[in-house]
Amino acid sequence: MKNRLPPRRKRGGEGLVTASPFLLPSLIGLLVFSLLPLIISGLISLTDWNGLDRLTDPDFLQDHFVGLANYKSILTTPEFWNTLGNTMEYIVLYIPLMLAASLLVAYLLSRPHRGIGAFRVVYYIPVLTSWVAASLIWKSVLAPQYGAMNGILAWFGIQGPGWLLDEAWAMPAIVLVSVWKDMGFFGLILLSGVVGINKTYYEAADIDGAGGWTKFTRITLPLLTPSIFYVVIVAMINGFQLFPQVMIMTGGGPNGATQVMVERIYQYGFRYYRMGYAAAFSWILFVIIMVFTAIQMKGQERWVHYDS
Amino acid sequence: MMKKSKLFSLIALLLTAVLLLSACGGNNTANNAGNGGNTAQNDTQGGDAAEPVTITYCNFNSSGGNEETLAKMVAAFETEYPNIKVEVETIGFDDYFTQMQTRVAGGTAPDCYELNIENFAAYANKGMLAEITGVDVSGLNDTALNAFKVDGKQYGLPESFSNVVLIYNKDLFDQAGVDYPTADWTQDDVQDAAEKIRALGDDIFGIWQPITYNEFFKVVAQYGGALLNEDKTAFTINSPENLEAATVLVDRVLESNVQPNAVQQGGMGDWDMFMSGRLGMIPTGIWAFQTFTDGCDFAWDIAVEPGSTQKATHFFSNCVVMNPETEHPEEVAAWLAWLASSTASADIRLEAGWDLPALKDLDALSSYLEVTPPDNREAVFESLDYLVMPPVIEDYALMSDIISQKLAAAAEGTITVQEALDQAQAECEAQIKLA
Amino acid sequence: MTAKKRVNTALFYAVAIALAVLAMVPFLWMIATSFKSRGALMSIPIEWLPKEPTWDAYIKVFSKFPFARTIANSLFISVSYTAITLFSASLAAFAFAKIRFFGGRLLLSVYLAMMMIPTQVTMIPLFVIMNKLGLTDTYASVIMPSIFRPFAVFLLVQQMRTIPNDFLDAARIDGAGIFQVYRKIALPLCIPSLATLSITTFMESWNDYLWPLLMLSDKNKMTLPIALSTLNGQYNTEYNVLMAGSLISMIPIIIIYVIAQKQFKNGMMAGGIKG
Repeated sequence: MKNRLPPRRKRGGEGLVTASPFLLPSLIGLLVFSLLPLIISGLISLTDWNGLDRLTDPDFLQDHFVGLANYKSILTTPEFWNTLGNTMEYIVLYIPLMLAASLLVAYLLSRPHRGIGAFRVVYYIPVLTSWVAASLIWKSVLAPQYGAMNGILAWFGIQGPGWLLDEAWAMPAIVLVSVWKDMGFFGLILLSGVVGINKTYYEAADIDGAGGWTKFTRITLPLLTPSIFYVVIVAMINGFQLFPQVMIMTGGGPNGATQVMVERIYQYGFRYYRMGYAAAFSWILFVIIMVFTAIQMKGQERWVHYDS
Repeated sequence: MMKKSKLFSLIALLLTAVLLLSACGGNNTANNAGNGGNTAQNDTQGGDAAEPVTITYCNFNSSGGNEETLAKMVAAFETEYPNIKVEVETIGFDDYFTQMQTRVAGGTAPDCYELNIENFAAYANKGMLAEITGVDVSGLNDTALNAFKVDGKQYGLPESFSNVVLIYNKDLFDQAGVDYPTADWTQDDVQDAAEKIRALGDDIFGIWQPITYNEFFKVVAQYGGALLNEDKTAFTINSPENLEAATVLVDRVLESNVQPNAVQQGGMGDWDMFMSGRLGMIPTGIWAFQTFTDGCDFAWDIAVEPGSTQKATHFFSNCVVMNPETEHPEEVAAWLAWLASSTASADIRLEAGWDLPALKDLDALSSYLEVTPPDNREAVFESLDYLVMPPVIEDYALMSDIISQKLAAAAEGTITVQEALDQAQAECEAQIKLA
Repeated sequence: MTAKKRVNTALFYAVAIALAVLAMVPFLWMIATSFKSRGALMSIPIEWLPKEPTWDAYIKVFSKFPFARTIANSLFISVSYTAITLFSASLAAFAFAKIRFFGGRLLLSVYLAMMMIPTQVTMIPLFVIMNKLGLTDTYASVIMPSIFRPFAVFLLVQQMRTIPNDFLDAARIDGAGIFQVYRKIALPLCIPSLATLSITTFMESWNDYLWPLLMLSDKNKMTLPIALSTLNGQYNTEYNVLMAGSLISMIPIIIIYVIAQKQFKNGMMAGGIKG
């Protein structure tokens, strides 16, 4: 196929009429299950709702309306900037590591070797493990004195850090565990991109005498960019919504080093009974994610290649 | 051109959503009719005795091992009250409150349910609970009853009850040549014993007492302090008494190191540490007895928690509450009162080795004393004389998180104890409005 | 050349096995823990393998709730959920990737934006909406949200965009209707992604816990994660029982995964014809 984008308005004539039957089911879902709750939560963010009073009371808004007070108070507390910083730290560490690990997984699984089917199952095991079980296990693996990790490091004469109990190491430790858990998932998504690549490209490269690495960087990587783009976006969104592993492994500690945004939202909404505040917090998070995704979307034109 | 079309579709979307929203908001007025505090008054309902009434009861306390015990209680209740049927829903502790809050807000809460002390105050203060009246609860422990009163109204009945005692490893005491703890031990005695036990080995520690809010409000009481002033209108977190108490706790980690720091603890659970024989003492709940009986291969016993200038012991209690919108307030009250205070329910509870019932009359509990270990089971009841009330305020969870966080920082040595209490005081004042 | 090949193969296995060990060790530990007695959980040094393996934890799990019924509920919900997701998302993705229409780019960004909502706060509004729709305590309340799964739409859009347009044009010129193009050409070319998607969707639905817990209060409709959550007590959790429960709940997902893998292989062949 030639590298030719279809003319922009090629199918413009078919337009909405053609598209609407395809879109209808998910549009209904969008309205009822996502947009509507989102708007309601936007309204809640303008109230001092405690999360217990009847949401459907007719005078709900009048009784509880506080305007932008929640937003103002969130943005002026150091806690918010702290948790934003921690969340960003996670994302900045997590995305490159996870991408490298899942590319490795995808690469290994795309090789025509014996026993690849078994590896495919094994690499996916961490994904299939529930966060509760995985977090508990890693907690004991990373235990400073009796844990397996520092035991192994000790063989090499390395004195391991306190991991989850050490302010500096707690977040990196959570990143490591998350990469372990997610590499199979993203690896598989990248793999489905890899196997979708037209074999003739590789055949042509073979004729030119290109080596494995050249083929990987010149053919596989560029043609994989749509999948990589998906992975980066999804990983980033998930990163901003980091929550269960933190809850179980550190509970936000030590000394607030792993307090992240969704954890705060959960605490405010469901433990401190400040649902209005929590809703405002999550709208701020929502906007932050949107800004970052929009930047990625704009940026994709430079490096993502569609239409082989 | 492009811009205009984008704007248009956005507006269309929003409009649809708002329409849907208003449709949702419209048809609910009927649901709120019953909202005006209908407590258990004496309706003339005697005549309906033939037709059984079904009430729903939601709980977390029976999860993780006592579902059958609760089922037995329900069966016994239904025999006694043939006109009432209780439908039980049991939910794991971790997300119980999330789901309960959602159901309360969504208007589908069960007729009656269970709450712990941490969440009770929020529900009661926000008007989510009905006052429980018309039933005899005089048999219940007064301290526990008071914990579930707001403005003199009984919004919850203490249904399960557990207190904290000092559990100690007899073998370690013998090895260190220290006398066993007694009911009149003070924190100084604990310190002495802990130091001698700590000297037994690098991996052996004198005591484990979590430096968190839950321990703190009790220990400050032992030093004559409190977190709030008498009428709960102001925080007194950084008072001199509290400082003394916090210093004792923190120094055990940082100074004498009779208590392991986080790294020494190595991520191991406190009970597990005790059961592995590496802890001399652990103040913990009586619900540990069964686990320790199964898990310890050394001799252990209990004593009343130590005091200092005065005695103060800890209790945990869950309560049962009534949904103000229930259609059967009388039946619900009957079930809740039976569950909390009847001897029949107490017997089933004790037989299963679940929590204690919160009864005044300890004779009902005599069978409880016969089980060993621990030999000194009487200490459980002696402790009841010194129960300290948790400072129940509306923002209980927020207050406890702030204090716990600051204490943890102090225990790690990142800030001084004085700073920790000052900061906790300032943050509580800034974030929590007291009545 | 063959020597080099052998080195490459050896290198491959070295890396692949190292990674496999990393992936498996915590899982194996899970299995080991599930066969431990409560006392063996906290021995020092760590007991890697239970000295006296016991079925206690499994017996406890199985005695807690009506197992067959719970599994059947979970299966029914997860299979329906996955089927609806695949259906609805692939339709939408086809429209976004291959039909130019008025407002398409904007609508796709709205879809994407919906992925970014933190669920904690839309939960109560959604609960209220479900009540209003009269769906409380029905399977539908748990299954229906599958109709809109932006993550799935996004994944398939990315995949369908790589299908050359000439392919679809050729089919249209041959007289195929737009639905036929979707069904006969776009879908088969997406089989690897659909397979991946079905695993992940099934898994998400299978493990989903909080939403079913909120919606389903009837014991007869209880799903596996809800049942397993009742193993947690207020003061204490028995890790061996928890691990046993988690392992049991993983078995169906592993089976589905292996089945989907077969599709995946078939998809590889289909991938060959592309372009």
